Amino acid sequence: MTALAFQNGLARLIIDPDFRDAVRARGETVLEGELSALERSRLCCIAADAGMDINRTLHKGFRLGKLRALLPLTCAVLNSQRLSREVAVFWAQWPPSSFYFVPEAIEFCDFLRARRLRVKYLYEVVGYERASLELERARHGAVPDQRVHFQHDPAVLLTTLANGRRPRGIPRRACIVTATKDAAGRVHWELQAGG
Amino acid sequence: MQALPKLGVGLALQAPLLPLMEAPGDDFDFVEVVPDILWTDLGPGASEFPRDIFPRHIEDDAGIAMLRRISARRTIVPHSIGLSIGSAGHFDVAHVQQLRRWWQWLRFPWHSDHLAYHLAEHAGQSVNVGITLPLPRDRETLALLIPRIRHVQHEIPVPFLLENNTYYFDIPDAEMDEATFLNTLCQESGCGLLLDLHNLYTNSRNHGFDAQAQLAQLDLTKVGEIHLAGGMEMDGFYLDAHSSSVPEPVFALLEWALPRCPNIGGVVFELFGSWFDEVGEERVRQDLRRMKSMWTCAQGEVARSAMDVVAAP
Repeated sequence: MTALAFQNGLARLIIDPDFRDAVRARGETVLEGELSALERSRLCCIAADAGMDINRTLHKGFRLGKLRALLPLTCAVLNSQRLSREVAVFWAQWPPSSFYFVPEAIEFCDFLRARRLRVKYLYEVVGYERASLELERARHGAVPDQRVHFQHDPAVLLTTLANGRRPRGIPRRACIVTATKDAAGRVHWELQAGG
Repeated sequence: MQALPKLGVGLALQAPLLPLMEAPGDDFDFVEVVPDILWTDLGPGASEFPRDIFPRHIEDDAGIAMLRRISARRTIVPHSIGLSIGSAGHFDVAHVQQLRRWWQWLRFPWHSDHLAYHLAEHAGQSVNVGITLPLPRDRETLALLIPRIRHVQHEIPVPFLLENNTYYFDIPDAEMDEATFLNTLCQESGCGLLLDLHNLYTNSRNHGFDAQAQLAQLDLTKVGEIHLAGGMEMDGFYLDAHSSSVPEPVFALLEWALPRCPNIGGVVFELFGSWFDEVGEERVRQDLRRMKSMWTCAQGEVARSAMDVVAAP
């Protein structure tokens, strides 16, 4: 099973820059798992290789690309600078856990909610995109309805963002939007009065 | 490896290239698709349920409809990214079963994946690194790969190819050089090689070796498909970014290799959709036409060589 420990170590060198720096600084002593002497030596060499930094950049680009694809409106509301900052904090706590990244995108939504950032419209948009992803990943027959609370007109807000424009002066409208998934897998959104 | 059907020149499917793919014309002959982007994998836990009630792989209806339209005019060849065949701790037989269902639907003539791994474990859970990581070139890796390749071959009864990887760091103290490793893998497992000439070119630039010399070391009778692409410079490295037209040195490698690959089925151009506008449709078509010209020429040479062999006393 040393190959498994070697691969996990190699992956960690890319995912976790603190670990990479520790291996660079302190060598084999920080390596974990059942590793042969050759594998320990290989991991130390790789940690010091400049190509490791390129892999780290590609890994971050891939991961950020997935978030941008799954949460385009949330990313647009945050703007690039704030998004980079929040993503860095999030990634320090959550390793990438799924090939399709839907669970990670949902975790990022929950992370943002817990951060209580003062960004106008953010939590309405996060709620909307989180509900969409929750329905996407739900299995047939086990799909809870999703309710999203809006304080601003959802049609105007979401259309503005979807058209690539920054939302400004969106009319206030407290309401709840409910999303359901039918037997054919189609999602239906329904606007309800009052919020 | 058995000779593959001669499909010709292929284009890798990307959404922004759809208008080009659906337009009339014969600049390319077949379409390569990454099947994993047309389904959502709910994860291994979904396998615990009967598939007809709780399928693990939820296919994208719009994507499937698009594929049906394309497949009415051109052969589809899958090039998967999700198997992670080199992962030491995990072999995803459900992924193979999903591909088998696609084979039952599309009857593709061959299929391929990457000679690498991207799934590992970190902090007690499965992680996806999102990039194809290299494998040590040694007997232990071959022992891991060969039964898995045989499983794929058993489940999907068409040739299975693995693609030589791009690596930005090499794993030191290898038992074999890359050509020996690839030749041995193909020989002992029966899989074919998807020879990505842009990966070879990228590695040669980043690690300072002669791509042509390495190409000459490969057993080209094992090559079932060739990939071409373009890349870009970043932080002192040349990246396999699929971001440009095909560089001249890569075309030169193709020109040398093609007539020496008697069993090859096609040559595919890969371009990420986000770079399509920058490269431009005309340049993409120009590269495809050049590939086709080389393909036609090489097939003539291969046929002449075969006739010479037959005619020899």
